[in-house]
Amino acid sequence: MALMATATMANATATMTPTKVKMKIKAKEKNGIVKAKVAISHNMLTYDQAKKKGKEANFITHITATVGDKVVYDASTSQFLSKNPLIKFAFAGKKGDKIKITYTQLKGEVFFATKKIK
Amino acid sequence: MIVVATMAISANATDYRVEKPEAWTAKDVPSAMKALYGNITPQEGAIKLKAPKVASNGGAIPVSVKTDIPAKSIAIFQDANPEATVAVFAMQEGQVADVALKIKMKKSGTITVVVEGKDGKFYSKSFSLEVALGGCEG
Repeated sequence: MALMATATMANATATMTPTKVKMKIKAKEKNGIVKAKVAISHNMLTYDQAKKKGKEANFITHITATVGDKVVYDASTSQFLSKNPLIKFAFAGKKGDKIKITYTQLKGEVFFATKKIK
Repeated sequence: MIVVATMAISANATDYRVEKPEAWTAKDVPSAMKALYGNITPQEGAIKLKAPKVASNGGAIPVSVKTDIPAKSIAIFQDANPEATVAVFAMQEGQVADVALKIKMKKSGTITVVVEGKDGKFYSKSFSLEVALGGCEG
């Protein structure tokens, strides 16, 4: 399963190498469950907003969270997530592991950030 | 621990943006649901869908979805924007069916969540809310 996930990302990365960015990631483990909260800086410009501003629409289309090789969160998203989207999710995991948040935007560019689970 | 019941047993590696392109351009909820899941008749399900009854800022409406139904995917739709699909979560092994995000809604409307169960059945829940200030103003 992880292979398929990375294959999808590999297609996206064919256009551009993943770039490391700053994201506000909070990941805390309690009783074997990690609760994660991620705030991504992104203006999430919808087609309507872009038209009004004379710019190109640009928004996040895919967000994944991985711990090592394992995908723990996978969201396909639209132009309707808020500006600077805030997402929350939970999964079985442990303190000390590193979580990586990766997102792809409309044109295919990929960005990521990592954080240690507390 | 009850946690085991809520965890996905196997991963879903579908990238819904790639595999279901029509779902992202569908204008109304029934068409979007059909484009994503086919001709389904979801039954009202044990899904906790939370959002404010009155959203003061249509640009950032907090929505949370929680369910104990073993889920393969969870889709969020609404009928206030030019297109109906907001997000689709492909549930992963070890993931708890408990997600939250902030969305935009242009005006007051109804959010509909569909849970694709691992049992092959579909479950849905809706929530209507008022939006004080439209969310696509910029």
